[in-house]
Amino acid sequence: MLEVENVSTMYGRIQVLWDVSLAVREGETVALVGANGAGKTTLLETVSGMLKPASGRIAFRGKRIDGLPSHAIVELGISHIPEGRRLFPEMSVRENLEMGAYLARVWKDKQEILDRVFQLFPILHARQGQLARTLSGGEQQMVAMGRGLMSRPSLLVIDEPSSGLAPLVVDEMFRIIETLRGEGIAILLIEQNVQQTLEIATRAYVLENGRITLEGASRDLLHEDLIKKAYLGL
Amino acid sequence: MMVTILDIIIAGMLLGGIYALIAVGLSLQYGVARVLNIAHGEFIMLGAFITWTLYTAFGVNPLLSLALCGPTLFLIGYVLYIVLFSRLRVRAASPGAYEGNSMLACFGLLFIIQNLAILIWGADIKGYSFFAFPVDFAGARFAANRLITLGFAIVIGLVFYLFLARTRLGKAIRASAQEPEAAGLMGVNIDRVLALCFGLGALMAGLGGALISMSYKIQPTMGLEYTMIALIVIVLGGLGSIPGSFIGGFLLGLVGSIVTYVEPGLALVAYYVIFMMVLLLKPKGVLGK
Ligand SMILES: Nc1ncnc2c1ncn2[C@@H]1O[C@H](COP(=O)(O)OP(=O)(O)O)[C@@H](O)[C@H]1O
Ligand SMILES: [Mg+2]
Repeated sequence: MLEVENVSTMYGRIQVLWDVSLAVREGETVALVGANGAGKTTLLETVSGMLKPASGRIAFRGKRIDGLPSHAIVELGISHIPEGRRLFPEMSVRENLEMGAYLARVWKDKQEILDRVFQLFPILHARQGQLARTLSGGEQQMVAMGRGLMSRPSLLVIDEPSSGLAPLVVDEMFRIIETLRGEGIAILLIEQNVQQTLEIATRAYVLENGRITLEGASRDLLHEDLIKKAYLGL
Repeated sequence: MMVTILDIIIAGMLLGGIYALIAVGLSLQYGVARVLNIAHGEFIMLGAFITWTLYTAFGVNPLLSLALCGPTLFLIGYVLYIVLFSRLRVRAASPGAYEGNSMLACFGLLFIIQNLAILIWGADIKGYSFFAFPVDFAGARFAANRLITLGFAIVIGLVFYLFLARTRLGKAIRASAQEPEAAGLMGVNIDRVLALCFGLGALMAGLGGALISMSYKIQPTMGLEYTMIALIVIVLGGLGSIPGSFIGGFLLGLVGSIVTYVEPGLALVAYYVIFMMVLLLKPKGVLGK
């Protein structure tokens, strides 16, 4: 479904990604793990069109998407829930969610999708009139997730949804991701909680200093020495 | 005494309506599209002169010209953004560099538009008389055209507010102002929304200019004063806040009418003093958070 082939991305003259290749198949949950500064966010931003790769090729369902602007990529069915949430702070929860349904073909069904999102996140229903900037961190992350779902994506790209959240909220976040996985949405997930992430992912990639150094079935990676030492603290 | 206070307040509202309108326009261009449009006043001047020409040469009702000036100026603004500013934005090394470059480009526009206007219309002061008869309003007397101006400013302001608050495009504009990259991730074509904002800003200037020409004398060099006033209002109302600009316009109009009552020559000086005080003491605006 998503094919990233030999992608390199630069910030000006500084190269951050080196020949990265990665794939996500229909309905699959794929984890991308790696230390801070490894380039995980840069990779997701390259996929969603926020950054242009310097070389390489990205295809989604057979169509080349590298070089397309982000508004054209979401149109194809990739929804990126960015690091740090990036909510519209001066808009209400409801308006933030509605913005997620901005695509013309989705906008007319926004009420229906909104009801669905409120089912997943009942707290957002109660908070719908509140300005996004007045929410707690956990609630803000739920708005970001809900907003990302509003475009009815076939691939969800999620960047550190649990960062800075209390353990209970983190569990809630993983529960939601498992629910989505159960609905057949493909997911590419970056997470600091490597153990929990590998448990819900089918496959995983390890990114180190801008290069993929390891990939495989999550079950196998959980027992890989490198992962145990570097990310699981075993 | 009561009547005088009421007089001053109403005169302030009448002035404020225009200020609010032109400030909302500049606020869209600077607050959303990030173009500090120093040539805003020149767009106002264009609206005023188009209306004056249509009235004096063809007898077209200035209220009808409003309906013509708006779309014309919108088109000019929209196209200018696409051919000039969006390219500057793509080429700029950083957002800060873009703001600098686009402001310089606006300086150029200011001179080009102003000189073209002098070539076409000549440099001298012009005016016409339209609905200039006095009417009694809340116990005070005002020229009818001032009341028309206020009415239109309020209606345009409200319509625009509803557009921003309720419509899909209006929401996209607000989202783009607050988090442009995230708006892009939602499917908003940022470049097009910014062009729309710049166009709408020019539209407001055009409407403002047409309304101004009904009550005030006009000349090709009139623009700078209005640019300054719009700039002061958007700082007063909090940069980027459209409702703030609207309310700020009425606030400044009130100040203007109070100062004018005491000493007519000092209104602009008073505006400037307020501007400096807001920048120094409340840089996020009197109405800002
Ligand atoms: N806007 C930027 N300009 C320059 N360098 C950047 C920028 N954003 C990130 N980087 C650098 O790119 C590298 C990868 O960053 P990032 O993709 O955010 O890593 P991760 O998400 O894995 O923590 C880091 O070294 C970071 O300093
Ligand atoms: Mg990151």
